[in-house]
Amino acid sequence: MALLEVKQLTKNFGGLMANDHIDLFVQEGEIVGLIGPNGAGKTTLFNCIAGFYPSSSGQVLFQGEDITGLLSNEICLKGIARTFQLVRVFKDMPVLDNVMIGAFNRTGSASVARKKAMEVLEFCGLMAKKGMLAGGLTIADKKRLELAKAFATGPTLLLLDEAMAGLNQTETAEAVELVKKIRKAGVTILLVEHVMEVVMPISNRVVVLDYGRKIAEDTPEKVIHNEEVIKAYLGDKYHASRRAH
Amino acid sequence: MGGNKNKWIWLAIGAILLLIYPLVITLPFPRHLMIMIFLYATLGLAWNMIGGYAGQISLGHAVYFGAGAYTSTLLLMKLGVTPWLGMLAGGLISIGLAFVIGYPCFKLAGHYFAIATIAIGEIAQHWMLNWDWAGAAVGLTLPILPESFLNLEFHTSKMPYYYIAFGIFALTIYVTYRIDRSKLGYYFKAIKGDLEAARSLGINVPRYKFYALALSAFFTSLCGSFYAQYILFIDPDSVFPLMLSIVVCLIATLGGVGTVWGPVIGAYILIPISEFTRIQFGGGGKGTDLIIYGFLIMVISIYQPFGVIGIAKRFKKKESE
Repeated sequence: MALLEVKQLTKNFGGLMANDHIDLFVQEGEIVGLIGPNGAGKTTLFNCIAGFYPSSSGQVLFQGEDITGLLSNEICLKGIARTFQLVRVFKDMPVLDNVMIGAFNRTGSASVARKKAMEVLEFCGLMAKKGMLAGGLTIADKKRLELAKAFATGPTLLLLDEAMAGLNQTETAEAVELVKKIRKAGVTILLVEHVMEVVMPISNRVVVLDYGRKIAEDTPEKVIHNEEVIKAYLGDKYHASRRAH
Repeated sequence: MGGNKNKWIWLAIGAILLLIYPLVITLPFPRHLMIMIFLYATLGLAWNMIGGYAGQISLGHAVYFGAGAYTSTLLLMKLGVTPWLGMLAGGLISIGLAFVIGYPCFKLAGHYFAIATIAIGEIAQHWMLNWDWAGAAVGLTLPILPESFLNLEFHTSKMPYYYIAFGIFALTIYVTYRIDRSKLGYYFKAIKGDLEAARSLGINVPRYKFYALALSAFFTSLCGSFYAQYILFIDPDSVFPLMLSIVVCLIATLGGVGTVWGPVIGAYILIPISEFTRIQFGGGGKGTDLIIYGFLIMVISIYQPFGVIGIAKRFKKKESE
């Protein structure tokens, strides 16, 4: 049984089909990459899985249980945590408190939450900044904190929405290491990424969306040679350069 | 930790000073002033739970104050129930009101929530002005009972009221302190900080907003019952006015929202101003205190948006650097 199973999920905003009958599964222990050009429907799919949007039709199963239509906080309690593309840290709060709020998902005790948060900060390499206000962090550290908050909720599955966008090469490499480390700690990962170079080396499987539909699903090596994928990524650019000449 | 130890010493000194104050100061007015400070500090603290910590600006808190005042008074007058039980009943009724008011209003964000609470406050006041059984516009004059703790009436000295007000104040401070350091406090702040992020981290937002409002309503209601027993006369204009809701919000904002001591500082600044201008100008000067409040709020919001406590923290930070 797959850990996460998405069946025929559809989401339309008025006439726009953001997700068109998408099937997707994630096995326990995997890192699955969800890629596609801008506007392909990656984030929408994430929002539907995590309960931020109600899906128009279709089903989401988590550990065999139907979680379609549950609220985001209920889904978090079931064990799916997510990060946001545009980081949503609590900027007026210290880094430690940010992570503690995540940790409270599994405990009612402040001392247990603090202990758990400290472990997570250590794990994510943010220990030195635990007293800083989250609003004062660099982009890279904010992204790291966004991950730490989600990780502190004690998830089985982590949905990462462009956790590396906007980072420079060194920062990206560090973020990739952290994602790998989290997987090693026993958390399955589904990540949305815009940049192919980031997804390819760490993903076991890659799912490609374009115009709201799944156009490919395979190992990274096979996906990059897939005709449809190349067209989706390079087609428009190719046409544009032709027209320019 | 030295800082922490110092804090407890200061707290103990403060408590002792406040406890011996009425023994040293025997004139009624200074005692009355302190009772008012305790009352408004408690109201500020209660407002702070929903408005400061959870960031939901309520401008209808007079509803809970009035509910407390009327519940204990009506129970006493109609059924002869001791005001202490009446106070508790008022608190429970206010929690019920918090649910009824919160359920629809929490769907509104930001200033829309504030506007809705103003409207509800106004509705409540007009309802009470026309409700004959509850005294309508004439109000209710509490029966003069023999002085006793059980009756919560004292006619010869303000001292017992002082200690009772102090007790309610201390209880509210204690509860705020506990909230500040518990899951509740963190969740309230998360809701204030970012709703979507709060949801994504497993927070049941409507439930925690209700917890914040229920706690806030309960303590506001206790103050209402105490006020009724202290003044021995209530009417819709004295316990349900919009001005009360606004003053309570100002106290917390001036002192510093979302902190344990902010509302206390706010009350210590605003209530003496209000009482002294009342004496100085009498009825003709009604509103003078509000002009001063308004000025203070402007100064604070320009120079120190975190309230007076923010200034204190800044100085402390400079000292330690």
